[in-house]
Amino acid sequence: MAKNTSLSGFRKIDIDIYNPENYNEDDVQNIQEDLMPNESEIVSLINSKRSNEALSLVLKNPPLNSKNQQVKDAVLNLVMRVLRSFPNSLEIDNAVKSLSDEALDVLMKYIYRGFEKEPRDSAQLLTWHEKVYAIGGNGCIVRVLTDRKRV
Amino acid sequence: MTSTLKPYLNAVRATLQASLCIQNFDSRVVERHNKPEVEVRKSKELLLTPVVISRNENERVLIEGSVNSIRISIAIKKADDLERILCHKFMRFMMMRADSFVILRRKPIKDYDISFLITNTHSELMYRQKLVDFIISFMEDIDKEISEMKLSVNSRGRTCAEEFFKQFY
Repeated sequence: MAKNTSLSGFRKIDIDIYNPENYNEDDVQNIQEDLMPNESEIVSLINSKRSNEALSLVLKNPPLNSKNQQVKDAVLNLVMRVLRSFPNSLEIDNAVKSLSDEALDVLMKYIYRGFEKEPRDSAQLLTWHEKVYAIGGNGCIVRVLTDRKRV
Repeated sequence: MTSTLKPYLNAVRATLQASLCIQNFDSRVVERHNKPEVEVRKSKELLLTPVVISRNENERVLIEGSVNSIRISIAIKKADDLERILCHKFMRFMMMRADSFVILRRKPIKDYDISFLITNTHSELMYRQKLVDFIISFMEDIDKEISEMKLSVNSRGRTCAEEFFKQFY
């Protein structure tokens, strides 16, 4: 066969791995490191009654891309601890108001996850849900429902 | 106890409103079929994240969404065996007549007492807001209904026992 290029490296490429039928969504590796909120820092913030700061810190780096369920559960526990540390609904109101839109969506995800995992705390979670819904609206819930990156 | 009922129902209402964005969607797997995707679960990308809203350990609602249908499953509080029996009988009674309830599913999901399936056809035939109202009022009434039945079972038992023991004086 006539050879009109001197490069033949492309013939060695395994093209079968690019076949769409062999693609499996679950196999995609995450090269990204699991970002995790710093536990000791948050615990010390809770202990010094600065729950507002603890909340914004814990919602900053959620392990959304992590495949490791243990990491996610650990962060859920941490978030629940922060949420429990708020004494009354006035404080919750102020805290929710100070959050950004992205943090609000993440918080909503954790609230729904909390309902599932820790139904004993649901009275408090219901208050949180109400406050976040008042600010985020339906869009906030729709983003929880449609997002593939679960917490 | 009643203090958590209102926020609970509000949270359920908000979630239902958000998840009732459904439209007609033909099956991608079988040609000329149109099935509720939440039931057939053939394509992952058409399903939404299932969410749970709980009031306490026993009472919770599971809302599973998809592109053309949503499934709502309710777990009702069952404090004792009598309530468990009453709940089971009552739900069975309704689910046997599921055709006349339109959105009721004939069988509940595992771990739940009753399930509803709302498809895009239902949301086109009926007002969306009224569907949400129906689910909420159902949840409000079911607790009341079961505790009323429990009281009437107890009082009937008492009357029966009194009548029976009368012959011994």
